[in-house]
Amino acid sequence: MSYIDIDRVSKSFGERVAINELSLHVEKSERVVLFGPSGCGKTTLLRLLAGLEVPEQGSIRIDGRVVASAGKNLVPPERRDLGMVFQDLALWPHMTVQQNLMFGLNARRVQKREAEARVREMLQRVGLEHRIDAKPDQLSGGEQQRVALARALVSRPSILLMDEPLSSLDDERKSMIASDLLNLQSQFGFTLVYVTHDRSEADMLGSRVCQMRDGRVTD
Amino acid sequence: MGRTVRTETIVLWLCVAVVAVAGFAPIAVMTLESFWRNGYFSLNHYRELISATRFWPLLGNSIRLALATTAVCGLIGVPAGILFAKSDLPLRSGFMWLLTVPFVLPPYFIALGWSRVVAHLGPTSSDWLFGFTGCVLVLSSVFLPITMLLTFASSSNVDRRLEEAARIVSGWPGVVRRVTLPLSAPGIAFSLVLVFLLAMGELSVPSFLRYPVLPVLSFTQFTASYNFGAATAAAFPLAVIAFVGVLAESTFLRDRDYTFRSTGQTLFIPLQRWKNPLVALITALCFALVILPLGSLFVDAFSLAAMHEAIQRAGASVVRSVMYSAMAATILMALGFLLGHFMRGGRQRVLSGFTLALFAIPGTVLSIGLVRLWNTPGTWFIYATPALLILGFTAQYCAVTTRLSLAGLMLIPTSLDEAGRLSGAMWARRLFRISIPLSTRTLVCAWLAAYILCLRDVPIALMTAPPGGDPLSARILTLMANGAPPMIASLCLIMAIASLIPLVILTRVIPSRRITK
Repeated sequence: MSYIDIDRVSKSFGERVAINELSLHVEKSERVVLFGPSGCGKTTLLRLLAGLEVPEQGSIRIDGRVVASAGKNLVPPERRDLGMVFQDLALWPHMTVQQNLMFGLNARRVQKREAEARVREMLQRVGLEHRIDAKPDQLSGGEQQRVALARALVSRPSILLMDEPLSSLDDERKSMIASDLLNLQSQFGFTLVYVTHDRSEADMLGSRVCQMRDGRVTD
Repeated sequence: MGRTVRTETIVLWLCVAVVAVAGFAPIAVMTLESFWRNGYFSLNHYRELISATRFWPLLGNSIRLALATTAVCGLIGVPAGILFAKSDLPLRSGFMWLLTVPFVLPPYFIALGWSRVVAHLGPTSSDWLFGFTGCVLVLSSVFLPITMLLTFASSSNVDRRLEEAARIVSGWPGVVRRVTLPLSAPGIAFSLVLVFLLAMGELSVPSFLRYPVLPVLSFTQFTASYNFGAATAAAFPLAVIAFVGVLAESTFLRDRDYTFRSTGQTLFIPLQRWKNPLVALITALCFALVILPLGSLFVDAFSLAAMHEAIQRAGASVVRSVMYSAMAATILMALGFLLGHFMRGGRQRVLSGFTLALFAIPGTVLSIGLVRLWNTPGTWFIYATPALLILGFTAQYCAVTTRLSLAGLMLIPTSLDEAGRLSGAMWARRLFRISIPLSTRTLVCAWLAAYILCLRDVPIALMTAPPGGDPLSARILTLMANGAPPMIASLCLIMAIASLIPLVILTRVIPSRRITK
């Protein structure tokens, strides 16, 4: 049994089949990149893993526990022990950088002092400790990317899901953040599931690259 | 290029001039009048008002009533708005429109309905209705839709991805408390300020339920003694509070005006075991606030004799009401669309505050100013005709059509207009060929909203209608003193039908939201 087991999962939106009896197995601390053209179902698969969509058929297991099965999410997103970086980052505009990071820790009832220490440590790791009181609209594009990454990792999830987070950056910044990500992965040991349509990004980040087409993993 | 700018500027200034003539000139004239006595500058009106023993209790009553109404509307309207926008509550759309009904009717309808309920229960049970408690109950029923609908709209607009990001680490209560509510705060705060100001300036309900407040004093100074100076001085605190309210709202909203890349979908809260208790609770709320009072009011309306008498005594008022409201709604739709168009071009703050201040000013205050300004031999053609009434409606409600138009226009990508500009189209051509065709739904919504607001209006209708030409909302109020209850009930039913038809159309025009599980 693998750390993440996706077994014959299907998902449609009206007439359109987004995921078609897809199966995928990911080992602990593996870096899997889902690579494919727009509309092939990469983002939907990530959202199914996160618990933001419900699979119509099949089942999803994380660490041996069935989290979703045939039309039901059995474990809600917040109890799946995962972090996610969204394509548009989804930083909360009304909160400062610190508040964005604290939100998840507060929800998990981490002691205030410890939560603050973890936020500072995480911001140090991504080189943004001096921007702790800034709001998202006061940050540059690269800084926003790093805040989103820090927010996803501050609660130390065992899985990190990333939905084309670097697509809007130039090549130089892209490789900087990619190398930061690889460092963080080697330090924390989380399992990475990364979605992209950029081959170079896939090769740079993945220990395994899975090609997707028409809602299935083809390679 | 120069000509394009000039056309736009001329139209903008024409719109501003219409609003200024309809709203600001009357306020300015009445303010000057209040400082004038026997041809000299004087503070006597204010001195007399402040030293009058009844002024301070009346001001206190007005503030107390407005605060209590706002609190009730906030406590019920905000959770209801979130529930209707974000949950899988069965029949939520039906509940929402049912709770909206009291707002589209003249406010005193609910009071009248409750007076029928307590009349059925016996004379001793009416004590609680005639006074503060009754006023709070009635005004909360009437203004609840404002907080409910604005909370619904604001929370529906929150980008679902921001909630999803929170959902990864927190349960629904945390997401609503820390993300949905703060991001909807501008809309919620605006709704609460609006409820406070509307409750503060409400005339018909407190006078019917015999709760003494400041607008009633101002109204009696004006109608009973025709003393403009004293009436204005009594209205002055209401105008000041309205301006302070608008200022507080815009100060609070500074830096909190979030714009979202709407996905057209919303996340939903699965209610699970709470579903049935919440349906029961909302049903009870609909029954208590809408069905019981309006049912009691309309129960006597269906006799043929009563309907016949109603048509005989107020048939002309029905026609007038529909006609005046339709004319005013058409002007308001055009004016609001043009102002919304200009606001989108970056002239937001001044224009927005400008129109909102007029909306917040009580109708009694605005009406006193209109009568004072236009009641001269040279302007008889306005004063003695429905033009005065339509001017009043235009001033009071242009904020609504302007904001509705702006919201609709914001959904059209600016690139469409820019493409038109690059193809060499002038401003007017772009307006008629691009903006208006893309805004048909917005224009229909704005017209219907304006029509409903004009039709249900009481103070402006009561104080500015030409002699013998009163609209139905004012006619019912005057007939209530000596008319038979079944006849009054029939008139209320006719009025309700005239208001509810556009509401039903509105529910069809506003697109239903898509829910994502």
